[in-house]
Amino acid sequence: MRRRARSLALGAASLALLLAAPSFLERGTLNDIWNVAFAVILASAWNLLGGFAGQISIGYSAFIGIGAYTTALLALKGVNPYATLPLAALLGAAFSFVVGLPTFRLRGPYFTIATIGVSEAVRVVATGVAFTGGSSGLRMPAGSFDFTRNYASMVILAVAVVSLSAWVKNSPFGRALAAIRQDIDAAESLGVHSARYKLLAHALSAAIVAVAGSLFAINFQYISPGSVFDFRLSLSIVLMPIVGGLGTVGGPVLGALLFGYLQIKLLSSPALRDSYLFIYGGMLIAVMLFEPKGLLGLFHRLRRAAGRAVSRPVPDAG
Amino acid sequence: MPAEGAAPILEVRGLQKRYEGLLALAGIDFDVSRGEIFGVIGPNGAGKTTLFSCLVGAVRPTTGTIRFRGERIERLPGYAVVARGLVRTHQIVRPFREMTVEENVSIGAHFGSGRRRKEDADKRVGEILEKTSLSLRAGALAGTLTIGELKRLEIARALATEPEVLCLDEVMGGLNPSEIAEAMKLIRSIRDSGVTVLMIEHHVHAVTGVSDRILVLNFGQKIAEGTPSEVVKDPEVVSAYLGTEPVESNL
Repeated sequence: MRRRARSLALGAASLALLLAAPSFLERGTLNDIWNVAFAVILASAWNLLGGFAGQISIGYSAFIGIGAYTTALLALKGVNPYATLPLAALLGAAFSFVVGLPTFRLRGPYFTIATIGVSEAVRVVATGVAFTGGSSGLRMPAGSFDFTRNYASMVILAVAVVSLSAWVKNSPFGRALAAIRQDIDAAESLGVHSARYKLLAHALSAAIVAVAGSLFAINFQYISPGSVFDFRLSLSIVLMPIVGGLGTVGGPVLGALLFGYLQIKLLSSPALRDSYLFIYGGMLIAVMLFEPKGLLGLFHRLRRAAGRAVSRPVPDAG
Repeated sequence: MPAEGAAPILEVRGLQKRYEGLLALAGIDFDVSRGEIFGVIGPNGAGKTTLFSCLVGAVRPTTGTIRFRGERIERLPGYAVVARGLVRTHQIVRPFREMTVEENVSIGAHFGSGRRRKEDADKRVGEILEKTSLSLRAGALAGTLTIGELKRLEIARALATEPEVLCLDEVMGGLNPSEIAEAMKLIRSIRDSGVTVLMIEHHVHAVTGVSDRILVLNFGQKIAEGTPSEVVKDPEVVSAYLGTEPVESNL
Protein backbone atom coordinates (compact mmCIF):
# COMPACT_ATOMS: atom_id res chain seq x y z
CA MET A 1 0.00 0.00 0.00
CA ARG A 2 2.75 2.43 0.97
CA ARG A 3 4.55 1.51 -2.21
CA ARG A 4 1.46 2.25 -4.26
CA ALA A 5 1.07 5.63 -2.57
CA ARG A 6 4.70 6.41 -3.33
CA SER A 7 4.26 5.45 -7.02
CA LEU A 8 1.14 7.62 -7.27
CA ALA A 9 2.96 10.57 -5.73
CA LEU A 10 5.91 10.04 -8.06
CA GLY A 11 3.63 9.88 -11.10
CA ALA A 12 1.67 12.98 -10.11
CA ALA A 13 4.84 14.94 -9.34
CA SER A 14 6.53 14.05 -12.62
CA LEU A 15 3.37 14.86 -14.55
CA ALA A 16 3.05 18.26 -12.84
CA LEU A 17 6.70 19.03 -13.51
CA LEU A 18 6.49 18.00 -17.15
CA LEU A 19 3.32 20.02 -17.71
CA ALA A 20 4.88 23.08 -16.10
CA ALA A 21 8.10 22.71 -18.10
CA PRO A 22 7.04 24.89 -21.08
CA SER A 23 7.03 27.94 -18.76
CA PHE A 24 10.70 27.61 -17.87
CA LEU A 25 12.41 25.42 -20.50
CA GLU A 26 13.31 26.43 -24.02
CA ARG A 27 11.74 24.92 -27.07
CA GLY A 28 14.72 22.75 -28.01
CA THR A 29 14.68 21.04 -24.62
CA LEU A 30 10.92 20.60 -24.80
CA ASN A 31 11.40 18.93 -28.17
CA ASP A 32 13.83 16.52 -26.57
CA ILE A 33 11.34 15.76 -23.80
CA TRP A 34 8.67 15.22 -26.46
CA ASN A 35 10.94 12.69 -28.18
CA VAL A 36 11.65 10.85 -24.96
CA ALA A 37 7.96 10.81 -24.00
CA PHE A 38 7.13 9.37 -27.44
CA ALA A 39 9.77 6.68 -26.88
CA VAL A 40 8.46 5.94 -23.35
CA ILE A 41 4.95 5.42 -24.72
CA LEU A 42 6.09 3.09 -27.49
CA ALA A 43 8.39 1.07 -25.22
CA SER A 44 5.94 0.76 -22.31
CA ALA A 45 3.01 -0.10 -24.55
CA TRP A 46 5.02 -2.72 -26.44
CA ASN A 47 6.16 -4.15 -23.11
CA LEU A 48 2.53 -4.92 -22.12
CA LEU A 49 2.53 -7.70 -24.69
CA GLY A 50 6.22 -8.29 -25.43
CA GLY A 51 7.49 -8.00 -21.87
CA PHE A 52 4.62 -9.11 -19.63
CA ALA A 53 3.26 -11.85 -21.91
CA GLY A 54 6.50 -12.64 -23.75
CA GLN A 55 4.95 -12.26 -27.21
CA ILE A 56 7.59 -10.50 -29.30
CA SER A 57 6.20 -8.32 -32.08
CA ILE A 58 8.56 -6.72 -34.58
CA GLY A 59 5.80 -4.88 -36.40
CA TYR A 60 4.68 -2.05 -34.15
CA SER A 61 5.37 0.63 -36.76
CA ALA A 62 2.12 -0.60 -38.34
CA PHE A 63 0.17 0.81 -35.38
CA ILE A 64 2.08 4.10 -35.41
CA GLY A 65 1.26 4.40 -39.10
CA ILE A 66 -2.40 3.49 -38.65
CA GLY A 67 -2.78 6.18 -35.99
CA ALA A 68 -0.84 8.77 -37.98
CA TYR A 69 -2.76 8.16 -41.22
CA THR A 70 -6.15 8.06 -39.47
CA THR A 71 -5.48 11.47 -37.97
CA ALA A 72 -3.95 13.02 -41.10
CA LEU A 73 -6.71 11.78 -43.44
CA LEU A 74 -9.51 12.97 -41.14
CA ALA A 75 -7.79 16.29 -40.43
CA LEU A 76 -7.66 16.88 -44.17
CA LYS A 77 -11.44 16.40 -44.20
CA GLY A 78 -11.74 19.16 -41.63
CA VAL A 79 -11.96 17.13 -38.40
CA ASN A 80 -10.12 18.50 -35.35
CA PRO A 81 -7.00 16.28 -35.18
CA TYR A 82 -7.36 15.67 -31.44
CA ALA A 83 -10.93 14.47 -31.97
CA THR A 84 -9.53 11.65 -34.13
CA LEU A 85 -7.55 10.06 -31.28
CA PRO A 86 -10.32 7.66 -30.10
CA LEU A 87 -10.85 6.40 -33.63
CA ALA A 88 -7.09 5.96 -34.08
CA ALA A 89 -7.01 3.89 -30.89
CA LEU A 90 -9.95 1.80 -32.07
CA LEU A 91 -8.46 1.14 -35.51
CA GLY A 92 -5.09 0.26 -33.96
CA ALA A 93 -6.77 -2.24 -31.63
CA ALA A 94 -8.88 -3.66 -34.46
CA PHE A 95 -5.82 -4.13 -36.64
CA SER A 96 -4.02 -5.98 -33.83
CA PHE A 97 -6.51 -8.82 -34.31
CA VAL A 98 -5.37 -9.29 -37.93
CA VAL A 99 -2.10 -10.77 -36.67
CA GLY A 100 -3.24 -12.01 -33.27
CA LEU A 101 -6.33 -14.01 -34.17
CA PRO A 102 -4.67 -16.48 -36.54
CA THR A 103 -1.36 -16.83 -34.66
CA PHE A 104 -2.06 -16.61 -30.90
CA ARG A 105 -3.56 -20.10 -30.84
CA LEU A 106 -0.30 -21.53 -32.14
CA ARG A 107 2.78 -22.34 -30.11
CA GLY A 108 6.14 -21.16 -31.40
CA PRO A 109 7.49 -18.18 -33.31
CA TYR A 110 4.53 -17.77 -35.67
CA PHE A 111 3.28 -14.57 -34.08
CA THR A 112 6.67 -12.83 -34.31
CA ILE A 113 7.17 -13.86 -37.92
CA ALA A 114 3.65 -12.74 -38.85
CA THR A 115 4.17 -9.30 -37.30
CA ILE A 116 7.13 -8.64 -39.59
CA GLY A 117 5.24 -9.75 -42.67
CA VAL A 118 2.04 -7.90 -41.90
CA SER A 119 3.73 -4.61 -41.00
CA GLU A 120 5.76 -4.70 -44.20
CA ALA A 121 2.58 -5.46 -46.15
CA VAL A 122 0.90 -2.44 -44.56
CA ARG A 123 3.84 -0.23 -45.56
CA VAL A 124 3.71 -1.48 -49.15
CA VAL A 125 -0.04 -0.90 -49.34
CA ALA A 126 0.25 2.59 -47.84
CA THR A 127 2.90 3.38 -50.44
CA GLY A 128 0.87 1.96 -53.30
CA VAL A 129 -2.69 3.19 -52.84
CA ALA A 130 -3.89 6.65 -53.87
CA PHE A 131 -5.84 7.85 -50.82
CA THR A 132 -2.74 7.81 -48.58
CA GLY A 133 -0.87 10.03 -50.99
CA GLY A 134 1.44 7.12 -51.85
CA SER A 135 5.14 7.49 -51.22
CA SER A 136 4.94 11.28 -51.21
CA GLY A 137 2.87 11.14 -48.04
CA LEU A 138 0.37 13.52 -46.51
CA ARG A 139 0.68 17.06 -45.20
CA MET A 140 -1.57 18.07 -42.32
CA PRO A 141 -3.86 21.04 -42.99
CA ALA A 142 -2.38 24.43 -42.17
CA GLY A 143 -3.36 25.78 -38.76
CA SER A 144 -3.61 22.36 -37.08
CA PHE A 145 -0.35 22.79 -35.23
CA ASP A 146 0.04 23.86 -31.64
CA PHE A 147 3.22 22.59 -30.00
CA THR A 148 2.19 23.30 -26.40
CA ARG A 149 -0.97 21.29 -26.77
CA ASN A 150 0.82 18.45 -28.53
CA TYR A 151 3.58 18.44 -25.93
CA ALA A 152 1.03 18.29 -23.09
CA SER A 153 -0.88 15.44 -24.78
CA MET A 154 2.31 13.48 -25.26
CA VAL A 155 3.57 13.77 -21.67
CA ILE A 156 0.11 13.03 -20.24
CA LEU A 157 -0.10 9.91 -22.40
CA ALA A 158 3.41 8.87 -21.36
CA VAL A 159 2.65 9.15 -17.64
CA ALA A 160 -0.73 7.44 -18.17
CA VAL A 161 0.85 4.50 -20.01
CA VAL A 162 3.51 3.97 -17.35
CA SER A 163 0.79 4.08 -14.65
CA LEU A 164 -1.33 1.64 -16.66
CA SER A 165 1.66 -0.63 -17.00
CA ALA A 166 2.25 -0.59 -13.21
CA TRP A 167 -1.42 -1.32 -12.60
CA VAL A 168 -1.53 -4.16 -15.13
CA LYS A 169 1.58 -5.78 -13.71
CA ASN A 170 -0.01 -6.21 -10.28
CA SER A 171 -3.50 -7.10 -11.49
CA PRO A 172 -4.89 -10.58 -12.13
CA PHE A 173 -4.68 -9.72 -15.84
CA GLY A 174 -0.94 -9.06 -15.44
CA ARG A 175 -0.52 -12.31 -13.50
CA ALA A 176 -2.21 -14.17 -16.35
CA LEU A 177 0.19 -12.57 -18.84
CA ALA A 178 3.18 -13.53 -16.65
CA ALA A 179 1.88 -17.09 -16.38
CA ILE A 180 1.54 -17.23 -20.18
CA ARG A 181 5.13 -16.02 -20.59
CA GLN A 182 6.58 -18.47 -18.09
CA ASP A 183 4.68 -21.64 -19.02
CA ILE A 184 1.72 -21.33 -21.34
CA ASP A 185 0.59 -24.96 -20.92
CA ALA A 186 0.66 -24.73 -17.14
CA ALA A 187 -1.28 -21.46 -17.38
CA GLU A 188 -3.97 -23.12 -19.52
CA SER A 189 -4.14 -26.07 -17.14
CA LEU A 190 -5.07 -23.61 -14.35
CA GLY A 191 -7.85 -22.04 -16.39
CA VAL A 192 -6.07 -19.15 -18.13
CA HIS A 193 -7.60 -18.60 -21.59
CA SER A 194 -4.21 -17.72 -23.07
CA ALA A 195 -5.34 -16.67 -26.55
CA ARG A 196 -7.90 -14.26 -25.07
CA TYR A 197 -5.41 -12.54 -22.75
CA LYS A 198 -2.77 -12.29 -25.46
CA LEU A 199 -5.32 -10.69 -27.80
CA LEU A 200 -6.39 -8.28 -25.07
CA ALA A 201 -2.81 -7.21 -24.25
CA HIS A 202 -2.03 -6.83 -27.95
CA ALA A 203 -5.14 -4.71 -28.57
CA LEU A 204 -4.48 -2.50 -25.55
CA SER A 205 -0.90 -1.87 -26.53
CA ALA A 206 -1.78 -1.34 -30.21
CA ALA A 207 -4.42 1.25 -29.29
CA ILE A 208 -1.89 3.21 -27.23
CA VAL A 209 0.75 3.10 -29.95
CA ALA A 210 -1.79 4.25 -32.56
CA VAL A 211 -2.62 7.30 -30.42
CA ALA A 212 1.09 8.05 -30.13
CA GLY A 213 1.22 7.82 -33.94
CA SER A 214 -1.61 10.36 -34.18
CA LEU A 215 0.24 12.78 -31.92
CA PHE A 216 3.37 12.20 -34.01
CA ALA A 217 1.48 13.19 -37.17
CA ILE A 218 0.08 16.31 -35.51
CA ASN A 219 3.52 17.36 -34.29
CA PHE A 220 5.44 16.76 -37.51
CA GLN A 221 2.61 17.96 -39.78
CA TYR A 222 3.86 15.64 -42.49
CA ILE A 223 3.85 11.84 -42.66
CA SER A 224 4.92 9.32 -45.27
CA PRO A 225 5.22 5.54 -45.34
CA GLY A 226 8.96 6.01 -44.96
CA SER A 227 8.59 7.90 -41.71
CA VAL A 228 5.79 6.07 -39.87
CA PHE A 229 5.91 2.55 -41.34
CA ASP A 230 9.70 2.29 -41.02
CA PHE A 231 10.96 -1.18 -40.06
CA ARG A 232 13.82 0.44 -38.10
CA LEU A 233 11.18 2.09 -35.95
CA SER A 234 9.70 -1.34 -35.17
CA LEU A 235 13.17 -2.57 -34.22
CA SER A 236 13.84 0.38 -31.90
CA ILE A 237 10.54 -0.28 -30.14
CA VAL A 238 11.68 -3.84 -29.38
CA LEU A 239 15.18 -2.82 -28.30
CA MET A 240 14.18 -0.17 -25.75
CA PRO A 241 12.40 -2.54 -23.31
CA ILE A 242 15.00 -5.27 -23.82
CA VAL A 243 17.91 -2.95 -23.05
CA GLY A 244 16.03 -1.33 -20.17
CA GLY A 245 14.59 -4.48 -18.60
CA LEU A 246 11.98 -6.70 -20.25
CA GLY A 247 8.69 -7.30 -18.46
CA THR A 248 9.23 -4.64 -15.79
CA VAL A 249 7.53 -1.27 -15.39
CA GLY A 250 10.72 0.79 -15.06
CA GLY A 251 12.78 -1.04 -17.69
CA PRO A 252 11.03 0.31 -20.80
CA VAL A 253 11.18 3.81 -19.32
CA LEU A 254 14.92 3.50 -18.72
CA GLY A 255 15.44 2.08 -22.20
CA ALA A 256 13.38 4.88 -23.72
CA LEU A 257 15.32 7.54 -21.81
CA LEU A 258 18.59 6.07 -23.04
CA PHE A 259 17.44 5.59 -26.63
CA GLY A 260 15.68 8.95 -26.75
CA TYR A 261 18.80 10.67 -25.50
CA LEU A 262 21.12 8.70 -27.78
CA GLN A 263 18.97 9.30 -30.83
CA ILE A 264 18.93 13.03 -30.18
CA LYS A 265 22.72 13.11 -29.70
CA LEU A 266 23.51 10.78 -32.58
CA LEU A 267 21.17 12.36 -35.09
CA SER A 268 22.58 15.80 -34.35
CA SER A 269 26.11 14.62 -35.01
CA PRO A 270 26.79 14.23 -38.75
CA ALA A 271 29.57 11.72 -38.15
CA LEU A 272 27.33 9.40 -36.13
CA ARG A 273 24.02 9.96 -37.89
CA ASP A 274 24.13 6.72 -39.84
CA SER A 275 25.70 4.61 -37.16
CA TYR A 276 22.95 4.54 -34.55
CA LEU A 277 21.73 1.10 -35.57
CA PHE A 278 25.25 -0.24 -34.97
CA ILE A 279 25.20 1.26 -31.51
CA TYR A 280 21.74 -0.19 -30.79
CA GLY A 281 22.89 -3.59 -32.02
CA GLY A 282 25.97 -3.38 -29.82
CA MET A 283 23.86 -2.55 -26.78
CA LEU A 284 21.50 -5.43 -27.53
CA ILE A 285 24.39 -7.91 -27.71
CA ALA A 286 25.88 -6.53 -24.50
CA VAL A 287 22.57 -6.92 -22.68
CA MET A 288 22.03 -10.47 -23.91
CA LEU A 289 25.56 -11.49 -22.92
CA PHE A 290 25.98 -9.74 -19.59
CA GLU A 291 22.63 -8.75 -18.08
CA PRO A 292 19.53 -10.36 -19.63
CA LYS A 293 17.39 -8.38 -17.21
CA GLY A 294 18.60 -5.13 -18.75
CA LEU A 295 19.66 -1.86 -17.15
CA LEU A 296 17.09 -2.29 -14.39
CA GLY A 297 18.51 -5.74 -13.58
CA LEU A 298 22.02 -4.26 -13.54
CA PHE A 299 20.81 -1.53 -11.19
CA HIS A 300 19.26 -4.07 -8.79
CA ARG A 301 22.40 -6.19 -8.90
CA LEU A 302 24.61 -3.21 -8.07
CA ARG A 303 22.30 -2.18 -5.25
CA ARG A 304 22.37 -5.69 -3.77
CA ALA A 305 26.15 -5.76 -4.07
CA ALA A 306 26.36 -2.39 -2.34
CA GLY A 307 23.97 -3.61 0.38
CA ARG A 308 26.11 -6.69 0.99
CA ALA A 309 29.27 -4.60 1.17
CA VAL A 310 27.67 -2.37 3.80
CA SER A 311 26.01 -5.08 5.89
CA ARG A 312 28.87 -7.59 5.74
CA PRO A 313 29.65 -8.54 9.33
CA VAL A 314 33.01 -7.59 10.73
CA PRO A 315 35.23 -10.71 10.80
CA ASP A 316 35.26 -12.26 14.20
CA ALA A 317 38.33 -11.04 16.04
CA GLY A 318 38.34 -13.98 18.13
CA MET B 1 -17.95 -44.25 -0.37
CA PRO B 2 -20.35 -42.95 -3.00
CA ALA B 3 -24.06 -43.15 -2.49
CA GLU B 4 -25.68 -46.07 -4.28
CA GLY B 5 -27.44 -45.13 -7.49
CA ALA B 6 -25.99 -41.63 -7.82
CA ALA B 7 -24.88 -40.75 -11.34
CA PRO B 8 -21.08 -40.93 -11.74
CA ILE B 9 -19.31 -37.56 -11.82
CA LEU B 10 -16.99 -38.82 -14.56
CA GLU B 11 -17.89 -41.35 -17.27
CA VAL B 12 -15.24 -42.48 -19.73
CA ARG B 13 -16.25 -44.63 -22.71
CA GLY B 14 -14.09 -46.17 -25.42
CA LEU B 15 -11.33 -43.63 -24.84
CA GLN B 16 -8.60 -44.06 -27.40
CA LYS B 17 -5.51 -41.99 -28.15
CA ARG B 18 -3.25 -42.84 -31.07
CA TYR B 19 0.09 -41.11 -31.69
CA GLU B 20 1.29 -42.01 -35.20
CA GLY B 21 1.97 -45.75 -34.81
CA LEU B 22 1.59 -45.86 -31.04
CA LEU B 23 -1.69 -46.71 -29.37
CA ALA B 24 -1.30 -44.91 -26.03
CA LEU B 25 -4.87 -45.63 -24.94
CA ALA B 26 -6.62 -48.57 -26.58
CA GLY B 27 -10.25 -47.81 -25.74
CA ILE B 28 -10.86 -47.49 -22.02
CA ASP B 29 -14.12 -47.50 -20.03
CA PHE B 30 -14.56 -46.51 -16.41
CA ASP B 31 -16.72 -44.42 -14.11
CA VAL B 32 -15.73 -42.34 -11.12
CA SER B 33 -18.28 -41.62 -8.40
CA ARG B 34 -18.56 -38.34 -6.58
CA GLY B 35 -16.45 -38.28 -3.42
CA GLU B 36 -14.21 -41.22 -4.35
CA ILE B 37 -10.46 -41.46 -4.25
CA PHE B 38 -9.82 -43.30 -7.50
CA GLY B 39 -6.30 -44.65 -8.04
CA VAL B 40 -4.75 -45.26 -11.45
CA ILE B 41 -1.72 -47.56 -11.56
CA GLY B 42 0.27 -49.37 -14.21
CA PRO B 43 3.84 -49.79 -15.47
CA ASN B 44 5.70 -46.96 -17.20
CA GLY B 45 4.19 -46.24 -20.61
CA ALA B 46 0.84 -47.79 -19.68
CA GLY B 47 -0.99 -44.60 -20.71
CA LYS B 48 -1.74 -43.14 -17.28
CA THR B 49 -0.57 -39.60 -17.97
CA THR B 50 -2.10 -39.66 -21.45
CA LEU B 51 -5.39 -40.56 -19.78
CA PHE B 52 -5.15 -37.52 -17.49
CA SER B 53 -4.16 -35.28 -20.41
CA CYS B 54 -7.30 -36.39 -22.27
CA LEU B 55 -9.51 -35.84 -19.22
CA VAL B 56 -8.43 -32.21 -18.76
CA GLY B 57 -8.39 -31.23 -22.44
CA ALA B 58 -4.63 -30.90 -22.79
CA VAL B 59 -4.72 -33.67 -25.42
CA ARG B 60 -7.64 -34.46 -27.71
CA PRO B 61 -8.58 -38.15 -27.76
CA THR B 62 -8.65 -39.95 -31.11
CA THR B 63 -12.04 -41.49 -30.32
CA GLY B 64 -14.25 -42.06 -27.31
CA THR B 65 -16.23 -39.87 -24.96
CA ILE B 66 -15.65 -38.24 -21.58
CA ARG B 67 -18.67 -37.05 -19.64
CA PHE B 68 -18.16 -34.78 -16.67
CA ARG B 69 -21.36 -34.25 -14.64
CA GLY B 70 -23.22 -35.53 -17.68
CA GLU B 71 -21.64 -33.09 -20.15
CA ARG B 72 -19.37 -34.18 -23.00
CA ILE B 73 -15.97 -32.51 -22.49
CA GLU B 74 -13.55 -34.44 -24.69
CA ARG B 75 -13.42 -31.68 -27.34
CA LEU B 76 -13.10 -28.74 -24.95
CA PRO B 77 -9.85 -26.77 -24.60
CA GLY B 78 -8.02 -27.04 -21.28
CA TYR B 79 -9.10 -23.70 -19.80
CA ALA B 80 -12.76 -24.56 -20.45
CA VAL B 81 -12.42 -27.91 -18.68
CA VAL B 82 -10.90 -26.16 -15.65
CA ALA B 83 -13.79 -23.69 -15.69
CA ARG B 84 -16.19 -26.64 -15.34
CA GLY B 85 -14.33 -27.96 -12.31
CA LEU B 86 -11.89 -30.62 -13.53
CA VAL B 87 -8.17 -29.95 -13.03
CA ARG B 88 -4.88 -31.84 -12.98
CA THR B 89 -1.41 -31.51 -11.51
CA HIS B 90 1.70 -32.20 -13.56
CA GLN B 91 3.90 -35.21 -12.94
CA ILE B 92 6.95 -33.13 -13.85
CA VAL B 93 6.24 -30.03 -11.80
CA ARG B 94 5.62 -26.87 -13.80
CA PRO B 95 5.76 -23.92 -11.40
CA PHE B 96 5.90 -20.34 -12.65
CA ARG B 97 9.47 -20.00 -11.42
CA GLU B 98 9.70 -16.21 -11.52
CA MET B 99 6.58 -15.84 -9.38
CA THR B 100 6.26 -16.29 -5.65
CA VAL B 101 4.45 -19.30 -4.22
CA GLU B 102 1.51 -17.08 -3.37
CA GLU B 103 1.33 -15.63 -6.90
CA ASN B 104 1.47 -19.14 -8.36
CA VAL B 105 -1.54 -20.17 -6.31
CA SER B 106 -3.39 -16.94 -7.09
CA ILE B 107 -3.39 -17.86 -10.80
CA GLY B 108 -5.55 -20.86 -9.99
CA ALA B 109 -7.76 -18.81 -7.67
CA HIS B 110 -8.39 -16.06 -10.24
CA PHE B 111 -8.77 -18.12 -13.39
CA GLY B 112 -10.19 -21.41 -12.15
CA SER B 113 -13.79 -22.51 -12.01
CA GLY B 114 -15.30 -19.50 -10.23
CA ARG B 115 -15.20 -15.87 -11.37
CA ARG B 116 -14.64 -14.10 -8.09
CA ARG B 117 -13.61 -10.84 -6.54
CA LYS B 118 -9.95 -10.23 -5.77
CA GLU B 119 -10.51 -10.21 -1.99
CA ASP B 120 -12.20 -13.63 -2.08
CA ALA B 121 -9.45 -15.03 -4.25
CA ASP B 122 -6.76 -13.68 -1.91
CA LYS B 123 -8.54 -15.22 1.07
CA ARG B 124 -8.79 -18.57 -0.68
CA VAL B 125 -5.09 -18.46 -1.55
CA GLY B 126 -4.27 -18.01 2.15
CA GLU B 127 -6.44 -20.97 3.15
CA ILE B 128 -4.90 -23.24 0.54
CA LEU B 129 -1.35 -22.28 1.46
CA GLU B 130 -2.25 -23.20 5.03
CA LYS B 131 -3.77 -26.51 4.00
CA THR B 132 -0.78 -27.49 1.86
CA SER B 133 1.76 -26.37 4.50
CA LEU B 134 3.18 -23.67 2.22
CA SER B 135 2.28 -20.62 4.31
CA LEU B 136 5.83 -20.09 5.48
CA ARG B 137 7.05 -20.14 1.87
CA ALA B 138 4.32 -17.83 0.51
CA GLY B 139 6.76 -15.08 -0.44
CA ALA B 140 9.50 -17.34 -1.81
CA LEU B 141 10.13 -17.54 -5.55
CA ALA B 142 8.83 -20.87 -6.83
CA GLY B 143 12.20 -21.52 -8.46
CA THR B 144 13.78 -21.83 -4.99
CA LEU B 145 11.51 -24.58 -3.59
CA THR B 146 12.50 -28.17 -2.72
CA ILE B 147 10.91 -31.03 -4.67
CA GLY B 148 8.51 -31.78 -1.82
CA GLU B 149 7.39 -28.16 -1.73
CA LEU B 150 7.06 -28.07 -5.53
CA LYS B 151 4.80 -31.12 -5.43
CA ARG B 152 2.64 -29.41 -2.80
CA LEU B 153 2.62 -26.22 -4.91
CA GLU B 154 1.23 -28.25 -7.84
CA ILE B 155 -1.58 -29.46 -5.58
CA ALA B 156 -2.14 -25.99 -4.09
CA ARG B 157 -2.47 -24.30 -7.52
CA ALA B 158 -4.88 -26.97 -8.74
CA LEU B 159 -6.94 -26.76 -5.54
CA ALA B 160 -7.13 -22.99 -5.90
CA THR B 161 -9.17 -23.45 -9.09
CA GLU B 162 -11.95 -24.87 -6.85
CA PRO B 163 -12.26 -28.19 -8.67
CA GLU B 164 -14.93 -30.84 -8.22
CA VAL B 165 -12.52 -33.43 -9.58
CA LEU B 166 -8.79 -33.18 -8.88
CA CYS B 167 -6.41 -35.38 -10.91
CA LEU B 168 -3.08 -35.88 -9.14
CA ASP B 169 -0.27 -37.17 -11.35
CA GLU B 170 2.38 -38.81 -9.17
CA VAL B 171 2.47 -36.20 -6.47
CA MET B 172 4.40 -38.60 -4.22
CA GLY B 173 7.24 -39.21 -6.65
CA GLY B 174 10.55 -38.18 -5.10
CA LEU B 175 9.14 -37.74 -1.60
CA ASN B 176 10.59 -39.33 1.55
CA PRO B 177 8.45 -41.61 3.76
CA SER B 178 7.35 -38.90 6.18
CA GLU B 179 6.44 -36.60 3.26
CA ILE B 180 4.45 -39.47 1.73
CA ALA B 181 2.51 -39.89 4.97
CA GLU B 182 1.80 -36.14 4.94
CA ALA B 183 0.69 -36.31 1.32
CA MET B 184 -1.70 -39.20 2.06
CA LYS B 185 -3.20 -37.18 4.89
CA LEU B 186 -3.57 -34.16 2.60
CA ILE B 187 -5.27 -36.22 -0.12
CA ARG B 188 -7.76 -37.64 2.39
CA SER B 189 -8.53 -34.17 3.71
CA ILE B 190 -9.08 -32.90 0.16
CA ARG B 191 -11.57 -35.70 -0.42
CA ASP B 192 -13.23 -35.00 2.92
CA SER B 193 -13.73 -31.38 1.81
CA GLY B 194 -15.94 -32.69 -1.02
CA VAL B 195 -13.48 -33.00 -3.91
CA THR B 196 -13.36 -36.20 -5.94
CA VAL B 197 -9.74 -37.32 -6.36
CA LEU B 198 -8.15 -39.29 -9.20
CA MET B 199 -4.53 -40.19 -8.55
CA ILE B 200 -1.79 -41.75 -10.60
CA GLU B 201 0.77 -43.22 -8.27
CA HIS B 202 3.74 -45.54 -8.50
CA HIS B 203 4.02 -45.91 -4.77
CA VAL B 204 1.74 -48.93 -4.38
CA HIS B 205 1.35 -48.83 -0.62
CA ALA B 206 0.32 -45.19 -0.78
CA VAL B 207 -2.21 -45.71 -3.55
CA THR B 208 -3.72 -48.84 -2.04
CA GLY B 209 -3.75 -47.09 1.32
CA VAL B 210 -5.88 -44.13 0.27
CA SER B 211 -7.88 -45.28 -2.77
CA ASP B 212 -11.48 -46.50 -2.64
CA ARG B 213 -11.09 -48.09 -6.07
CA ILE B 214 -8.18 -48.62 -8.42
CA LEU B 215 -7.90 -48.81 -12.21
CA VAL B 216 -4.94 -50.75 -13.59
CA LEU B 217 -3.61 -49.97 -17.06
CA ASN B 218 -1.07 -51.87 -19.13
CA PHE B 219 -0.09 -51.01 -22.72
CA GLY B 220 -3.06 -48.65 -22.97
CA GLN B 221 -5.57 -51.33 -21.91
CA LYS B 222 -7.57 -51.62 -18.72
CA ILE B 223 -6.49 -54.90 -17.12
CA ALA B 224 -8.30 -54.55 -13.81
CA GLU B 225 -10.61 -52.31 -11.82
CA GLY B 226 -11.84 -52.71 -8.28
CA THR B 227 -11.08 -52.18 -4.62
CA PRO B 228 -7.40 -52.17 -3.60
CA SER B 229 -7.63 -55.65 -2.08
CA GLU B 230 -9.26 -57.07 -5.23
CA VAL B 231 -6.76 -55.44 -7.53
CA VAL B 232 -3.57 -56.52 -5.76
CA LYS B 233 -4.73 -60.15 -5.85
CA ASP B 234 -5.63 -60.07 -9.55
CA PRO B 235 -3.25 -62.50 -11.30
CA GLU B 236 -2.98 -60.31 -14.41
CA VAL B 237 -2.07 -57.27 -12.31
CA VAL B 238 0.49 -59.25 -10.36
CA SER B 239 2.26 -60.50 -13.47
CA ALA B 240 2.09 -57.21 -15.39
CA TYR B 241 2.95 -54.77 -12.67
CA LEU B 242 3.53 -56.00 -9.19
CA GLY B 243 5.86 -58.87 -10.05
CA THR B 244 5.44 -62.48 -9.03
CA GLU B 245 6.05 -61.93 -5.30
CA PRO B 246 3.05 -61.09 -3.12
CA VAL B 247 2.67 -57.34 -2.95
CA GLU B 248 3.31 -56.89 0.78
CA SER B 249 6.78 -58.39 0.73
CA ASN B 250 7.72 -56.94 -2.64
CA LEU B 251 7.21 -53.33 -1.79
